[in-house]
Amino acid sequence: MITERIVRADERDFLDEFEAGQLAADFDYTTPEEVLAWAIERWHPRLALCTSFQAEGMAIFDMAWRINPAVRLFTVDTGRLPEETYEMIETVRGHYGVEVEIRFPDALRVEAMVGRFGPNLFARAVEARLLCCSVRKVEPIRGALDELDAWVTGLRREQWASRANIRKIEIDHDHGGLAKLSPLADWTIEEVLDYNRAHGVPVHPLYAKGYTSIGCAPCTRATAAGEDARAGRWWWEKNAPKECGIHCPLETGALEHELEAILARQPAGGPRR
Amino acid sequence: MARAPENEPDWELVRKRNFVERLKHEKGGFEVLRDLPAMIAAGYEAVPEEDMVRLQWYGLYHDKPKLGFFMLRVKTPGGILTPVKLAAIGRLAERFGRGQGELTTRQNVQLHWLEMARLPEVLAALEAAGLSSAGACGDNVRNVTACPVSGLAEDELFDCRETVAAAADFFVSRREYSDLPRKHKITVAACPGQCNAPEIHCIALVGTRREGRNGFAVRVGGGLASWPRLASDLGVFVPVDEAVTVLQAIVDVWREDRRYRLSRARARLKFMVDDVGPAAFRARVEARLGRPFEDGELPAAPADEHDHAGLHPQKQPGLLYAGFPVHLGLMSAAQMLAVADLAESFGGEIRLTRRQNFILTGIPEARAGEVLGRAAEIGFPLDAGGLKGLSIACTGDPFCNFTVAETKGKLAEIVAHLDETFGERVQGLRINLDGCPHACAHHWIGDIGLQGTTLRERGAGGERLPGYDLFLRGGLGRDAAIGRPVLRRVPGETVHLVIAALFRAYLERRQAGERIQQFFTRCSDEELIALAGAPPELAAPMASN
Repeated sequence: MITERIVRADERDFLDEFEAGQLAADFDYTTPEEVLAWAIERWHPRLALCTSFQAEGMAIFDMAWRINPAVRLFTVDTGRLPEETYEMIETVRGHYGVEVEIRFPDALRVEAMVGRFGPNLFARAVEARLLCCSVRKVEPIRGALDELDAWVTGLRREQWASRANIRKIEIDHDHGGLAKLSPLADWTIEEVLDYNRAHGVPVHPLYAKGYTSIGCAPCTRATAAGEDARAGRWWWEKNAPKECGIHCPLETGALEHELEAILARQPAGGPRR
Repeated sequence: MARAPENEPDWELVRKRNFVERLKHEKGGFEVLRDLPAMIAAGYEAVPEEDMVRLQWYGLYHDKPKLGFFMLRVKTPGGILTPVKLAAIGRLAERFGRGQGELTTRQNVQLHWLEMARLPEVLAALEAAGLSSAGACGDNVRNVTACPVSGLAEDELFDCRETVAAAADFFVSRREYSDLPRKHKITVAACPGQCNAPEIHCIALVGTRREGRNGFAVRVGGGLASWPRLASDLGVFVPVDEAVTVLQAIVDVWREDRRYRLSRARARLKFMVDDVGPAAFRARVEARLGRPFEDGELPAAPADEHDHAGLHPQKQPGLLYAGFPVHLGLMSAAQMLAVADLAESFGGEIRLTRRQNFILTGIPEARAGEVLGRAAEIGFPLDAGGLKGLSIACTGDPFCNFTVAETKGKLAEIVAHLDETFGERVQGLRINLDGCPHACAHHWIGDIGLQGTTLRERGAGGERLPGYDLFLRGGLGRDAAIGRPVLRRVPGETVHLVIAALFRAYLERRQAGERIQQFFTRCSDEELIALAGAPPELAAPMASN
């Protein structure tokens, strides 16, 4: 019955739109630690940090861990991660003495995809790459979010035009309406790196090798000094949607919007083999 | 709680923290036109993503997926279109926009499917027709809206078309106003029905009279999106001939305070007005003007919202205007051309309304029957208070990058269900449906507002399922209020039943003369949730009367 469904959804601790807007305005000039402390107090253990161990995610985890060492941290093992990321997971476990929750893609979905399109389908066409992102990364993250009332991202406003409007607290309408927190929204990259240095935060080993963003091994590469960071992801693609490289992350909903629009246009049977 | 920082940041810090400020500084939005031929020559693939953002300054938004098709938003100050102008837009839609078009809540016309290579032709055709899309998107003064029957309505206080045109021209022709902290929304009207929604604008000039002179009261700091606020009254009287000077002073006070440029999340005038209060804000504007305002009173708000639908006499003897409903705000190229042709045939004009409808003006009384008949043939039967005309939805799927749920298509389903279930009894109900928190269709102030979201449950294939938060108790006019999301995550597949149940409860339980907003305000959240979940017979048709 309709009422039951509405009430059941509201048993979880979700913000409503008016409350979320007010909180976003109120927290706009506060520090990341203040946002995190408030959110952890309200939602832990139904709050988790989602990270790929880049500088932002590590800074946030360090802050959150100092507030509450039991704070939850999860990542997705897409099956195609670089070896350095596994090393990084071990480093984080050792450094903080915590567990890292690792989400995996659905084995049957991966088997069906690689059986049909091959393991390196992403190299063939934008549609195939988006399918790969969807199966290996988007779906496992959605699975993790289903069990949460709030998640924390490392999005920052200075990164790109479409991120310039992000609020530190908002409702994630792409993922069932849980709260999405972006405590570092108004920090610059220098502030993030300064924090990490000052607090001895572990650094992903790929940064030392010239990487500017961290993702799956075949789809991420080092960039030369002065080269646009966008050259570090899916650099071979032609006719990819604008902003669908590093500026179109799942955390903003943009990746899923593009992905759904493009995959919906595919003829029956999906991308070409 | 936290307000803007005490100390004003320098430009360096602003540009460091705010990507769009940096982008504007490196190359202004309007400068992108100069590079358009080179961009086209290089090919879409090679165009920097930053220039795609700058195209917004010409009313061009990259549609979803971002593969090279653009939306074009044509500005029509005050919603006034001559037949020649509407026909020009219709021809553009026909040639470049797959024959589609839509009317917006800011009295704009939007086209889709435009390709980058055709943009010079499109922009030249607009200019040739005396139209423009400059400043329709981006950090600009957006289309200046007005009462759509300015200069025509028998009951208007005075004709403010000149003020509307002067304000629109002033801000678009001075490049310092193309670098505002964010979008900025101005409305000007002397409509006693206040049909132009002064409550939700950054700046509203509300027509009034004082000691025999025409002029305006001023409201500032309204807006919706994620932080909805009703505009505050400055308590002033501005004579008509000072209107543009005062608008300029207000926008100057706003744009020159760099504190609100640090964060685009707070880069709207409503935050400044909320931080300092209307009295201190008035003092700042007076300091900028170099003189105090004359005190004045805000005219009384109307009892209810008003849309000028239906057939009405004009103040010009022998002439009528007719407000036609445009279902979902959709108007095809063929319809634009036919309506333009019809208006031309009797020497009239087309006016666009805030509820995505249009009005034909200057209809000779003797020809009214014929004109209504022809409009009906074009697809616009006159149906004054009907749901089709009063209900609005934002652009949404398949075009908008932000939407998370179906908008116009879902509104069509809801309207069809309510019309079938309640017949004429549902006339006058206003449904405002949005696909995301940006609130282009003003869900905070509809009789029933909907905002798209997704459900916690997922579909059989693991896909997201669309849902809607239902906003109740909002409205404009005398009981102006921001609604609240009383029912949340209502499944998309049953939302029409929930709305029907709420409306049925209103019909059955209302007190004499009680409007639906008052009914929802009188009921508690728990009562409304219970009423919404009435048993399945809620889908059964209810006899009219």
